[in-house]
Amino acid sequence: MDAGELELFRSALRQATTNHTGKALEDALDELGWRDALAADRQAAVSTLFELQGEANATSSALDVVMAGRPAVLPPLGSYDQPTVRGLGTYAFANSALDGVTVRPVDGIDPSLGLVEVTGRLPITDVSSWSDAVAAGQLALVHELIGASRAMLELARTHALERVQFDRPIASFQAVRHRLAECLVAIEAAGAAAEAAWEMETPLSAMAAKAVAGRSSRVVAKNCQQVLAGIGFTTEHPFHRYLRRVLVLDGLLGDTRTLTKRLGEELLRTRRLPPLQTL
Amino acid sequence: MELDEFRSALDAWLDAHAAELAPPFEGTGTLDEQMAQLAKVKGAAYDAGWTRWGWPERVGGLGGSPLLRGYLGEALTLRGLVDPGGYSMVEVLAPTMIDYARPELAAEMVPRLLRGEELWCQGFSEPGTGSNLAALACRAVRDGDAWRVTGQKVWTSFAQYAQRCVLLTRTGPPESAHRGITAMFVDMATPGITVRPLGTMHGGAEFCEVFFDDVSVPLDRTLGEEGQGWSVAMDLLPFERSTALWHRTAFLNRRLEQLLIDASSDSLSAAEIGDVFVQLFALRARSRGTQHRMAAGERLGPETSIDKILLATTEQALFDLVGAALAEDVALGDDTAAEQWRAQYLYSRAATIYGGSAEIQRNIVARRLLDLGAEA
Ligand SMILES: Cc1cc2nc3c(=O)[nH]c(=O)nc-3n(C[C@H](O)[C@H](O)[C@H](O)COP(=O)(O)OP(=O)(O)OC[C@H]3O[C@@H](n4cnc5c(N)ncnc54)[C@H](O)[C@@H]3O)c2cc1C
Repeated sequence: MDAGELELFRSALRQATTNHTGKALEDALDELGWRDALAADRQAAVSTLFELQGEANATSSALDVVMAGRPAVLPPLGSYDQPTVRGLGTYAFANSALDGVTVRPVDGIDPSLGLVEVTGRLPITDVSSWSDAVAAGQLALVHELIGASRAMLELARTHALERVQFDRPIASFQAVRHRLAECLVAIEAAGAAAEAAWEMETPLSAMAAKAVAGRSSRVVAKNCQQVLAGIGFTTEHPFHRYLRRVLVLDGLLGDTRTLTKRLGEELLRTRRLPPLQTL
Repeated sequence: MELDEFRSALDAWLDAHAAELAPPFEGTGTLDEQMAQLAKVKGAAYDAGWTRWGWPERVGGLGGSPLLRGYLGEALTLRGLVDPGGYSMVEVLAPTMIDYARPELAAEMVPRLLRGEELWCQGFSEPGTGSNLAALACRAVRDGDAWRVTGQKVWTSFAQYAQRCVLLTRTGPPESAHRGITAMFVDMATPGITVRPLGTMHGGAEFCEVFFDDVSVPLDRTLGEEGQGWSVAMDLLPFERSTALWHRTAFLNRRLEQLLIDASSDSLSAAEIGDVFVQLFALRARSRGTQHRMAAGERLGPETSIDKILLATTEQALFDLVGAALAEDVALGDDTAAEQWRAQYLYSRAATIYGGSAEIQRNIVARRLLDLGAEA
């Protein structure tokens, strides 16, 4: 896609993600040709949709499409690498009626995400294609985490400029400014790591990007929550939805802590750095 | 010359000349030894043509993308041939000369810097002026066709080795702040300049106090216009956070790999080493993006403060881990490897201080990138 096409695509997607969620969002995506875009320019289609979905706090089963072209089971929190019999699926799984698979809704901390617990035999047997699918899914989640983080930062930034204490906007206090600066640094680091992972196309780079994005989103959530203070603790303010969302997204396909440790184990095993991104 | 072609040709040349280019000392070496090594490597790389790529022809370069410079510094650093601190001064000071010096002056001087024949320093900070650079007091007054400079600079890196200095002076009234600053290119051999090296905690005397006592600087050594010194400084700082930073990132990669070799299995946990790796992954990705923006002709600005924050954070994270995993070496070791770890550990403590402190970088991000308005 050239810059002009990308701009149009993005604004059509933004319409869809801000106005719809769930099945309605999927219908909207079908209508605007997101799957065709995915076939034509995978990076643009994935990064644009997932960032906007994260920003809008919307949900869809697009992750299934990205990972396997069919409902995919995301192994549970903490262990993500075996296509075994128990895991999480997007809500689309509930309607997939696969043989030998049972499905139970998972509410957890973010019920609106509509995850389900899936128990049974997985349709995926080819382990190498599974690791590619995991990398593709991780990268999509990286963008969703970045989108949610940007939304949190925007909420906190606007609040800081509008909220007056001691006769001045709280945005004028350095402690507040530095917290928000920290958030932007974290988001930009995740964005750069995502770019690197797209370019390198290795499972290791997708893991690293996911680790960076999960960690960044926690930094952003923590600092924005402090700036939003009381108002941000109410369910009337949208902040809590993003906090819930990033906590769950970080856990899908490997949370930061697990991935970081796995990368470290790999370094300790080989005692050398993996190939780095070249200039 | 394309980057891929440059990369393989340079790698082959570095392999072929590995023995001559290697430092003649083990570990860190003395500062004198480091400077001699730097001059040797720069000279050889210049004579073989490598250093000229990526610089404009009007300053003796061969043209081509600045990415070529990025790769050259990276390759020299990864092979342990140069220390990025001294090497990368070129990346900071040459672009400033190209943008702000008279064309003839830039054409005359820049090749000397590239060739390693000369070293230049950067005289910004003063005893009363660190973060608040706009308050600098080192005075320059017009006297016919020269400036007369009186005042003091401090923490001026490599001033004792430098033939020239990019100097910021106060030419407006004391209260003129950033409007009354003028930049100039000063010969360090000019009468009236005294350089006093200052010991640093990491060993050696990397920086100095520099005293100016009625020093005459020809008017045609002014960089930019009179009163434009603030722009010169503000345009220079992003260079510190682009190619020079890419070189430093290469250094961190090299040292992380060395840590994997030097540390025993039970002193490194997977979680800790993974954490440093992940930070370095993001830093490298960010800095690479900046190299490519620069190569595409974009003007770099306050967004490079993000690169600097990531660098300082990652450098300290890496050496915090070094301090813990090689605690005995860092605290008690006396062999060259231990001394090198110790010096680098200590130097990493300055990563949040020089070139705009960690707090100043966050002030820039808040004001310029997040548009949060003025501080209370
Ligand atoms: C190894 C090394 C090499 C150097 N090389 C050079 C060189 O070659 N040329 C040169 O000109 N200078 C050089 N410097 C000097 C360096 O640029 C200054 O040390 C730096 O700008 C900080 O100034 P300062 O030390 O006076 O600290 P100060 O400005 O006094 O700051 C002290 C502390 O207060 C904080 N602070 C200050 N203002 C604010 C604010 N507005 N908001 C929040 N916190 C604030 C700072 O972040 C810092 O933590 C070098 C320094 C080091 C350590």
